[in-house]
Amino acid sequence: MSLALDRPDAPPAQPAIPRAIPIQYGTAILVLVLVAAPLLPVLLQSVLDGALYEPEYNLTLANFARLARTEGFGTVLLNTVLLAALTTLVAQVVGTLAAILFGRTDLPLARAMSEFFLWPLYLSALVLSFGWYAVYGPSGYVTLLWQSLFGDAPWTLYSLWGMAVIAGVSQAPLAYIYCLSSATITDPSLEEAARVSGAGTARTLWRVTLPLMKPAIAYSAVLNFTVGLELLSIPLIFGDPAGIPVLTTFLFNNGVSSPRPDHGLVATAAALMLVVVCFLVWLQGRMLGNTRRFITLGGKASRPRPFRLGGLRWPLFALAALYILATVIAPIGTLVLRAFTAFLSPMIPIGEVLTTGNFTQIFEYPVYSRAVWNSFVVSLVGGALATALIALIAIVVHRSEFRFRGALQYLALFPRAVPGVVAGIGFFYAFALLPGLGFLRNSIWILVIAFTMRFIPAGLGAVAPMLLQVSPDLDRAARVQGADWWRTSRSILLPLMRPALVGCFTILFISFFKEYSTAIFLFAPGSEVIGTALLQLWVQGEVGLVAALATIQVAVIAVCIAAVRGIFGVKLHG
Amino acid sequence: MADLTIQGLTKRFGGVTAVEGVDLHVADGEFVTLLGPSGCGKSTTLAAVAGLDRADGGRIQVGDRVYFDAAKGIYLPPEARNCGLVFQSYALWPHMTVADNVAFPLTLRKVPAAERRRRIEEVLALVEMERYAARYPHELSGGQQQRVALARTLVYRPAILLLDEPLSNLDAKLRDRARAWLAELRTRLGLTTIYVTHDQIEALSLSDRIVVMNGGHIAQIGAPQQIYEQPADPFVADFIGTTNFLPARVVGAAPAGGRAVLELADGQRLETVAGRAAAAGERVTLAYRPEQMRVATPGAGAGEGPGEGPGEGSVLATRITSRSYVGGQWQVGLDLAGAAIRLEARTPPAGDTLDLWLPHAGGILFRGGADVAA
Repeated sequence: MSLALDRPDAPPAQPAIPRAIPIQYGTAILVLVLVAAPLLPVLLQSVLDGALYEPEYNLTLANFARLARTEGFGTVLLNTVLLAALTTLVAQVVGTLAAILFGRTDLPLARAMSEFFLWPLYLSALVLSFGWYAVYGPSGYVTLLWQSLFGDAPWTLYSLWGMAVIAGVSQAPLAYIYCLSSATITDPSLEEAARVSGAGTARTLWRVTLPLMKPAIAYSAVLNFTVGLELLSIPLIFGDPAGIPVLTTFLFNNGVSSPRPDHGLVATAAALMLVVVCFLVWLQGRMLGNTRRFITLGGKASRPRPFRLGGLRWPLFALAALYILATVIAPIGTLVLRAFTAFLSPMIPIGEVLTTGNFTQIFEYPVYSRAVWNSFVVSLVGGALATALIALIAIVVHRSEFRFRGALQYLALFPRAVPGVVAGIGFFYAFALLPGLGFLRNSIWILVIAFTMRFIPAGLGAVAPMLLQVSPDLDRAARVQGADWWRTSRSILLPLMRPALVGCFTILFISFFKEYSTAIFLFAPGSEVIGTALLQLWVQGEVGLVAALATIQVAVIAVCIAAVRGIFGVKLHG
Repeated sequence: MADLTIQGLTKRFGGVTAVEGVDLHVADGEFVTLLGPSGCGKSTTLAAVAGLDRADGGRIQVGDRVYFDAAKGIYLPPEARNCGLVFQSYALWPHMTVADNVAFPLTLRKVPAAERRRRIEEVLALVEMERYAARYPHELSGGQQQRVALARTLVYRPAILLLDEPLSNLDAKLRDRARAWLAELRTRLGLTTIYVTHDQIEALSLSDRIVVMNGGHIAQIGAPQQIYEQPADPFVADFIGTTNFLPARVVGAAPAGGRAVLELADGQRLETVAGRAAAAGERVTLAYRPEQMRVATPGAGAGEGPGEGPGEGSVLATRITSRSYVGGQWQVGLDLAGAAIRLEARTPPAGDTLDLWLPHAGGILFRGGADVAA
């Protein structure tokens, strides 16, 4: 025995102050500042009689009374609730049907169609709205085609129903994913039992499959209702011109567009929205029993035996294909086509109007090329910084003895309850208020900070499940062998989390790249991003440039998703 | 190398007390096994020694270093303790090769590269894994992973070696081989070792001493043979080896070492050598190992043992409840005055009843009823 076991090694030298303490407290304080920064000013402003940045002000509840008396505010609330409710209705019906049809039956090409069905999830509602406008708007391709054949089109996007259909279609994937994942984890023998006892396909679907999906339908309904309340782009594009204000556009018009913003009123309305959304998120948590709002990594491969559609197989296929074509492919395709043409109309052959002029123009104007560049910087650098922060939060929350780790987790997930519009207003106040932060106010870093805060929960959703799957024995082994908490985190946990971190970065990159609702309250000349440039161009009526910019966004997101799936094999949803 | 002293160790999880008032001294170079069913507190005790869980009370000292002292508020984090812990799951880091896994503790200790290489080679040779240095853990079998886990722990010469059910993830054949290998290694290294297991065979064959734990307390400490032959209570008797329990009442009192007469629930009587004084009317439980009981030879007197087992015994009438062939012999289930008895026999008994022979000496008399007999 040559091993000198009779002389034990000394344990590795430990630093005088454990490194864990400053790192863990630092992370917690950073998250606290990030989350509190936009919320405190909004809540404070809502109970002040003057503007927050004025030297003197008094506490008052007058803002609430004033808001209640504001002319048309009742209509605003009614519209908001109606739009959210109709959106939810459309999303739930479409999403549930799609989950059954694509997930549980022998529909031809179900997999491919389910891919297309999910597209709206990756794209921003803003881009989708432009697509719908290009197809079904007053001078849209299909509208004009219809007019030339049958006379006036019987639809209009400039109505509550029109907006609800666009929003519902873009949110149906959420209902779809929840229903599908609930269908794959229920025991297929329940359905088989029903069929063995003599129930036909339709009866089994109606009496067994659908009731089993009920919790998923209910949960995703609350989720979609919440998203419906927070919607900004669709009401801004279609609701405002038609005189249908909702809470988000009320905030936008009184807070950003207005030359003399009424801060008390805006903050009070924002606080009201915050309270309602907080309640809804709390309700989601109650319903799900855990804290997932964002669907990310996960999902199972096993799948119960599909239902036979029999004679309905091809008619249903045609119906589903028509839906995909009408709601996903046509809007996006037309938008892309519009980007490459000077003018798009069924009356003019496309060959005559083909041009790359829209793109040339974007890259000739520094404002727009800067917006594209800024979007890339914000998404790449911001996404990387946010991923690092999220990895740190996940490790502190799930893999440390940090005393306040429970509170930190709650805090880190709280931004779920903060609508993008409210976060935008809040950060605007925060940066206006705090001295010494002025240099950030007109840079893209204010966007990075705000986006990071908003998407911490989404990133955690991608990282935490994977971290929980890593056996705690692996870090315990390192600790016993002499590595302190920080060394263990770096040498053992971080390398093992790599796939989750790639997924997290991708989700953040896409989210940052398409984000606009927070940005429109925060951007300044020089710090435009694609989302804000799109809205500006839209207001100016530059439809061709809007289409070109939107095409760039769609293309970048598509390439990003394809790359991550192809190279890393990371699934971005269940 | 060092000795380990545990005094009054107490650990609670919420309202549940996992370990309470455990006292234990493990001498330098001694191999001590913590044995017990799941939830008995053995793994909690091990985690407290390694520093993975902070105990609520008591004191832990290894050599002259105090790891934990609740009264003085001393708690060394695991990384400052220099323990070696081999996990039940092996806990090899999947993103590192075998050599990297073994190198990690040496890197932490800033061992120079040349010496590090030498020691990695040495320790991998010790566990006969030198050919697998460049492999990743998932490319190894369970038994090989277990050896690497041990090498990773031995390479930094820990003050004390802690083994948490290291064999339980191996299949039965491999486990036998690994046990023999571990026994050989243990004699060669002479490390102070605490071994946690729920497997009595591992405990009996490897240990200098066994600590049987039950419900967070130490039920008995002793050498393997002592634990097996003189269990302190029915729990230990039942946990170490299969044991048959007979609830009875003392009708003929006896001093310690004397011969007591017991009456079973159905009125049958038997004699036994009382390990301790037995008072008339006292409720007792008599415990026998299956190998101590035999089928009575027809016609043989009550005082005469059948077959090779000489000595005196009692013959009792039982009812047969089951019989099953277990390879080489039969396992016969008997009902003796309401108590379930398991008997091993070479040939299957015929009929519904069987006369059972129990030796006067060898049974263990416990006071009171035995819950574990159920």
